[in-house]
Amino acid sequence: MKVLKADFYDGNTSARQEVEIQFEPTGQLRITGLERELIFPLSQLRISPRIGNTPRSIYLPSGAKCEALDNDTIDSVLERYGQSSWQSFLHKLESRLVYVALALVITVISVWGLVQYGVPALAERVARSLPTSVDETLGREALSVLDQHFFSPSALDADRQRELRTLLAGITQRIEDTHTYRLEFRSGVGANAFALPSGLIVVTDELVQLAENDNEILAVLAHEVGHVVHRHQLRRLLQDSATVLIIASIVGDVTSLTSLAAALPTLIIEAKYSRDFESEADQFALRYLRDNNIRPRHFADILLRMEKQKPSPGLGGGYLASHPATKERAKLFQDND
Amino acid sequence: MINESPQVDTKDIARAQRIPFEFSGKAGEYFKIWIVNILLTILTLGIYSAWAKVRRKRYFYGNTHLKDSTFEYHAQPVQILKGRLIAFGAFVVYTAVNAMLPLAAAVLAILFVFAVPWLVIKAHAFNSRNSSYRNLRLNFKGNYTKALAVYIGLPILSVITLGLAYPAYMYHRTKFVVANSAYGTAPFSFTATAGGFYVIALKAVGMAVAAAVFFTVLVAGLGGLPTMVAQPATPVGGPVALLIIVGGILAFSAIRAYLDTTITNLVWSNVSASNNQFQSTLRTRYMLWLYLSNAVAIVLSLGLLIPWAQIRTMRYRLENLKLLAKDDLDGFVAREQQKVDSAGEEVSEFFDLDIGI
Repeated sequence: MKVLKADFYDGNTSARQEVEIQFEPTGQLRITGLERELIFPLSQLRISPRIGNTPRSIYLPSGAKCEALDNDTIDSVLERYGQSSWQSFLHKLESRLVYVALALVITVISVWGLVQYGVPALAERVARSLPTSVDETLGREALSVLDQHFFSPSALDADRQRELRTLLAGITQRIEDTHTYRLEFRSGVGANAFALPSGLIVVTDELVQLAENDNEILAVLAHEVGHVVHRHQLRRLLQDSATVLIIASIVGDVTSLTSLAAALPTLIIEAKYSRDFESEADQFALRYLRDNNIRPRHFADILLRMEKQKPSPGLGGGYLASHPATKERAKLFQDND
Repeated sequence: MINESPQVDTKDIARAQRIPFEFSGKAGEYFKIWIVNILLTILTLGIYSAWAKVRRKRYFYGNTHLKDSTFEYHAQPVQILKGRLIAFGAFVVYTAVNAMLPLAAAVLAILFVFAVPWLVIKAHAFNSRNSSYRNLRLNFKGNYTKALAVYIGLPILSVITLGLAYPAYMYHRTKFVVANSAYGTAPFSFTATAGGFYVIALKAVGMAVAAAVFFTVLVAGLGGLPTMVAQPATPVGGPVALLIIVGGILAFSAIRAYLDTTITNLVWSNVSASNNQFQSTLRTRYMLWLYLSNAVAIVLSLGLLIPWAQIRTMRYRLENLKLLAKDDLDGFVAREQQKVDSAGEEVSEFFDLDIGI
């Protein structure tokens, strides 16, 4: 058998000694170049698994070790004497370009499948197993924070507020859901409506003024109720945490290296989930309107009017947008009118 | 070649020789290891990640050379897996308790704060004792009370003093790690002062302020500031926004590169063991170039160039690390070795407490 050059470290000091090692046909390892020759049967040795072409460690029973660079010879010895560990299979995977290409394809498909189907399905299942009381704890402080930083008090008179609350009650009576719905009014952030996971819906004065009839407001409320019924905020929380974990496991410690490179795919995936939730809420609103004989075009009308008033920015070619394109959303309602 | 001539006293020849660290990792080779790691991690629903971590670390350690010898990482994947399962279990318990009994969760959170110093010590001990050079392990031994003061006390003080104590925290944190580490029986000593960290922090703050002023003036000159910055989900459009984003990323990266290089240089150039002194000579400009080119390459290659980025960054860092050795590095002696359980290490990694030096 071939004689290999190796470094010998006795484990007691940091001294390095150059030695020669040889695997005997009898299945023993002979180390020469020290004060006296050492011979060990292979069964007494532990040999580190191969990783790329890094030096191979041969641990001796005494705590000493030999380091050799000739990985191929060591591999063939291990194979011949049946000492090959299952980890040698890993090196085979890592060294054949065909396997690596295959791994690449499977990885891409798995990541895509995980992001597209796995994570949303899992999040939905988890959300369903959690009681609705969790939703209440989620957004408990949200309104007071929003009030402090963004909202101003509403100027709508009490009668109008009561009318609109009856509108919401009309929707929530017709669906089966255990959330406690409430409607609040604020102003100061343009025409918009928000839903908190607890069932609290906020409509702005500007939206009420922008609406040409109450059916338009009803359609918007139905969309927001859709977010609450489908527990989008809880699911988003679950999905976004899963996404961060997936991205982190792929890019590994590169996160500290170039956080931007890791942040971008996370943002793109989270934006995609956000758009999916909006579509689901739209579908809910569409179904509600049709079931109750209200023309779906009301939703398209107010949506397009909001867009005209304040065009949404075309962020990142749509990949970073939190909502689907307004025209497409409106088209869904116009087509089903 | 084996030297046949009689032994001469090599100490005089080798007096204060500069021994460079070298890194021999190859992007192509590491790419294959990396992609197989990801694949098997996904296929085993994360279980393989412990094996992946060991293979990754063994690859980087095994390609790090110092005077004809390489480093070795010894952790067993099963230990790491166990630690990860414990960490995951703790996380699940906390989340469940938080959902049902928020008050009990608060108590758990406070208990966790007191566990942090213990976890930090365990993590460093695990990492050190599983790292070797020339078959001699590194070692780490930390005192809980000191760790509590450093890892909990100083961050709280930093908040109270509005960040004034933060550089002192960085200093004491590094000192805690270095001064409690040893190679064999030889302890490391750390000679930097808190003043060095304050100088770096001051310069970084200066750079941040300068960048902020520059962009404010520039944007104001280009057509006024957007009036409704606070409006959610409505970012300002157009070239001004682009300018702020690109400029902001550049300025942020530059400051990070500055902090990264100067702190690495300051720390390593003040670490020594048995009169062997480390020296790090990274340069901010080159580090910034690495950051930016890595980010562009990773984004354009949809992540496939991540291994390449890791390898070239590691090569740059190690090629700028030297050891000013007073002797031949043969004189270090082993201490009694002990196993340390990996829960500390993995729990702290899970909660992103793993602090590298």
